[in-house]
Amino acid sequence: MPESLSQPDAAPSRHGEPLLQVNDLQVSFKTDDSRVRAVRGVSFDIYPGETVGLVGESGSGKSVTNLALMGLVPSPPGRVDGGSVMYDGKDLLKLSPLQMQSIRGRRIAMIFQDPMTALNPLMTVGQQLTEMTRLHLGLSRRQANEKAAEMLELVGISGASRRLRDYPHQFSGGMRQRVMIAMALSCEPDLLIADEPTTALDVTIQAQILDLLRELQERRGTSIILITHDLGVVAETCHRVLVMYAGKVVEKSDAGPLFASPQHPYTQGLLQSLPRFDQVQTTLRAIPGQPPDLGNLPEGCSFRSRCPLAIDRCAREEPPLASVGDRREAACWVAEENANG
Amino acid sequence: MDDTSTNTPLLSVRDLCVHFPFSRGSMLRPEHGVIRAVDGLSFQIAQGETLALVGESGCGKSTTARAIINLVHPTSGSVRLRGVEIAGLSDREMMPHRRVVQMVFQDPFASLNPRMTVGSIIGEPLAVHRLASGKDRKLEVLRLMDLVGLNPRFLNRYPHEFSGGQRQRIGIARALAVQPELILCDEPVSALDVSIQAQIVNLLMDLQQKLGLSYLFIAHDLSVVRHIATRVGVMYLGRLAEIGDAASVYAHPTHPYTEALLSAVPVPDPVLAATRQRIRLEGEVPTPDRQYVGCSFVDRCPIAVEKCRHDRPPHEPVAAGEPGHTAACWERT
Ligand SMILES: Nc1ncnc2c1ncn2[C@@H]1O[C@H](COP(=O)(O)OP(=O)(O)OP(=O)(O)O)[C@@H](O)[C@H]1O
Ligand SMILES: Nc1ncnc2c1ncn2[C@@H]1O[C@H](COP(=O)(O)OP(=O)(O)O)[C@@H](O)[C@H]1O
Ligand code: SF4
Ligand code: SF4
Ligand SMILES: [Mg+2]
Ligand SMILES: [Mg+2]
Repeated sequence: MPESLSQPDAAPSRHGEPLLQVNDLQVSFKTDDSRVRAVRGVSFDIYPGETVGLVGESGSGKSVTNLALMGLVPSPPGRVDGGSVMYDGKDLLKLSPLQMQSIRGRRIAMIFQDPMTALNPLMTVGQQLTEMTRLHLGLSRRQANEKAAEMLELVGISGASRRLRDYPHQFSGGMRQRVMIAMALSCEPDLLIADEPTTALDVTIQAQILDLLRELQERRGTSIILITHDLGVVAETCHRVLVMYAGKVVEKSDAGPLFASPQHPYTQGLLQSLPRFDQVQTTLRAIPGQPPDLGNLPEGCSFRSRCPLAIDRCAREEPPLASVGDRREAACWVAEENANG
Repeated sequence: MDDTSTNTPLLSVRDLCVHFPFSRGSMLRPEHGVIRAVDGLSFQIAQGETLALVGESGCGKSTTARAIINLVHPTSGSVRLRGVEIAGLSDREMMPHRRVVQMVFQDPFASLNPRMTVGSIIGEPLAVHRLASGKDRKLEVLRLMDLVGLNPRFLNRYPHEFSGGQRQRIGIARALAVQPELILCDEPVSALDVSIQAQIVNLLMDLQQKLGLSYLFIAHDLSVVRHIATRVGVMYLGRLAEIGDAASVYAHPTHPYTEALLSAVPVPDPVLAATRQRIRLEGEVPTPDRQYVGCSFVDRCPIAVEKCRHDRPPHEPVAAGEPGHTAACWERT
């Protein structure tokens, strides 16, 4: 039935305490011939009840940033080189693996792009759902079963108590993604990190899943980090947006202003290169060239070889994130100068 | 019938079916069934045109393309190239037709031989079809590289040294080597970054202009399709729900599935997004071995009536649409 598209409500007020504060996060990976600096000084805050979109090219450091928050950077070859992740008065990067385990799944949960890699094919969906709540919430077997059925119902899987006995392969792609969401939400986390949760799904199923996340957020005030390469999905679900390029956040803004007047030349290029569903263009304005090799970054701004606005300074000095408006920041010499005169 | 006059469409597919028999269950109680990956598909592609096929994962788009070039043999139906029947030809009989139809694949990482240099990958079809050898072949390869925007310095490099977008350019150059008239593009930009997708889409459209190519363009991104397609076919479970001129289908989506699909595309514009109406589909995509006597969309259709369960809806013209715009729905046509 036609319904007005549920939009993210006006951004929840960002007053009060942030739920999570990431400060100058640095992560690198050792490769045969170099050290790849995958995340190069990323900082951002997440407030209660908000959805923050993380966009950027593949390899720009989105997933690694979030793996670091969860204490899941594979090591070796990976290494967190610096920074802090403050949550509940503690720096998550300093917790022991055991302490981190009690936060992961319980307070901060993650859903992955490919549900099959995260679900155990040899365990029933019920076993996997109850394992979490028994471990983290100390529920009895019966309570855990009831909770599991309730969660499946919540994510829109009918005949829930029967389906608990099914194995993951007996579900379709969209349903598996919902099972993942049910698992992630069963301990009522404060923060949900969703890494490309709908990329593998079709648009009609994607719409169902995004609606579901929005409803759950409204009901429980969960904060969400949504990693996606789909700017349409960002426009329809996120309050705030972080744009990443070559391991850095290059633009930070509320969603509305970002789409209305992007400040960083990369964000501008991205939005201009999109074919529009609602209008016909003759040629797309593609961004020329390719993203740089993280193991061998050029001096100065990492976007320079593709940037139409580059000036001399860009070749020498790497621009820091700087204020370019109300609650807006961009890492670009030209944008900063335009904003601040 | 086999006239090759200009009125004969470049490609004509009629009642194409590709069924895969399967068995599952235990040895003692095996269950046999058939997956109707493509189940009675008809469409044509004229010279210089781009027909896009869209639809959910598993609806039979790739199988359709593979059946056209006989990578899978059609169970029944006809595939005519310039009026000549090619369905079910053997590999050897298919050879001369492979010069007319080429394919570009989704995954630029898996579809190129990692042990061959770019030069030999692009030159291979020239050798196989005995079109050029020696110095001529090298010159032709360099011309093709230039055509798709690859630096000739890369001639002796290997695929792993290239980014996704560049590998897709290599795949396109290889397809162009035999000077085909029709290229079947199976999700050629889906695996690429947004900023690279536009480069490849522009390249495909430039090449079409320059060389008069026709495309069958398989995609799930309806914004890309809006941009590149002259005609659009919407598939659902092996059948065409709707087909017509792109502008007509986007302006007058008529099949309830097309309508839901178009309404669910996220648009990168928060202001516009707030004013759009979305049709929410209930239910899941059925498993592909599910058989439908009537309309295959009946389990998810918000306006289904009893008749839809028993009778298969034929394609009928869409009243509001341009000529050639048809949909298969009892309630809407
Ligand atoms: N060789 C095969 N044997 C059995 N089933 C097959 C085979 N090839 C395809 N299928 C089935 O046929 C159906 C159509 O598959 P196809 O690959 O054509 O889908 P598609 O529309 O290209 O999907 P996607 O968008 O995921 O690429 C699917 O259910 C698939 O599992
Ligand atoms: N396990 C790993 N080993 C080596 N390099 C890695 C590993 N995981 C990620 N990287 C590298 O880190 C960089 C950022 O990756 P990632 O965060 O996954 O990007 P994305 O933005 O696509 O999520 C990339 O250059 C990637 O190749
Ligand atoms: S700093 Fe210079 S090169 Fe970098 S994005 Fe801004 S203008 Fe372009
Ligand atoms: S034929 Fe019936 S079930 Fe099929 S789309 Fe039309 S109304 Fe819906
Ligand atoms: Mg990633
Ligand atoms: Mg396919």
